[in-house]
Amino acid sequence: MAHAAQVGLQDATSPIMEELITFHDHALMVIFLICFLVLYALFLTLTTKLTNTNISDAQEMETVWTILPAIILVLIALPSLRILYMTDEVNDPSLTIKSIGHQWYWTYEYTDYGGLIFNSYMLPPLFLEPGDLRLLDVDNRVVLPIETPIRMMITSQDVLHSWAVPTLGLKTDAIPGRLNQTTFTATRPGVYYGQCSEICGANHSFMPIVLELIPLKIFEMGPVFTL
Amino acid sequence: MAAPPEPGEPEERKLLGFLDVENTPCARHSILYGSLGSVVAGFGHFLFTSRIRRSCDVGVGGFILVTLGCWFHCRYNYAKQRIQERIAREEIKKKILYEGTHLDPERKHNGSSSN
Repeated sequence: MAHAAQVGLQDATSPIMEELITFHDHALMVIFLICFLVLYALFLTLTTKLTNTNISDAQEMETVWTILPAIILVLIALPSLRILYMTDEVNDPSLTIKSIGHQWYWTYEYTDYGGLIFNSYMLPPLFLEPGDLRLLDVDNRVVLPIETPIRMMITSQDVLHSWAVPTLGLKTDAIPGRLNQTTFTATRPGVYYGQCSEICGANHSFMPIVLELIPLKIFEMGPVFTL
Repeated sequence: MAAPPEPGEPEERKLLGFLDVENTPCARHSILYGSLGSVVAGFGHFLFTSRIRRSCDVGVGGFILVTLGCWFHCRYNYAKQRIQERIAREEIKKKILYEGTHLDPERKHNGSSSN
């Protein structure tokens, strides 16, 4: 989960998020160099003693400052499109979970192997145990196996919501009357947090998502199904 | 990048307020080589031409080009290394899982080399 005053991305828990972090680093380096160049140009403009009010032609400079940004944009666009298409790959998921947004809680359905359905409400501050995270912990977590392709089907029963887990690089809108799909494969076990990411009313900030990712062997023993 | 810095870990140092050179792989390496390239290019140009302003421009251009070049080179090698680490991790897991069985990767490899 995020720590206080965190600005950067969370550590990756899926291969897609690792790629996104790599791309983010790449884009940030390009941005840094452009900012450096612009600051230098600004510095020169502010410190020059030269003035010329009759400049009319600057063909070479205009060509350079048209072609160079185009090249920079291509350098950024190519990895971006690669990751975009990577996120749309569907690689034969082993498990399908349905996630339904309500005002203001989530319902999860494990219907592949039985009919487990449960609601996931945020724990009110009065009900928190020592060590629980305020505004993030829930009464029932989504328990899932690691190193297994998982398909999430996301929809809403009332207004727009969005099911987001930053560490997995996931954010999918929950739209009433529409079924959205996202797939992921988690690479390490742990408890991961997300929050509703589409304004949905008074308690929009109080309907978090908590995933508990456990080894496949333990998941198969059925801790999920002993609710 | 995600957890707050533990005591003993390098602190976050952000160039221009946003580029975290300590925690971004290859960033510190690229910026340092870029700075060196900038000084060499700018100072070298000045030695040959004695033009201060133009030498500063060459220095800045050198910084950008050397930084970018080092960055791409380092990130390419870093990506290759990550792939190799992933393959090694998978092979170790397979080895642990299948050791002594007919699926043992080492047995398959020894069998094919003896043939």
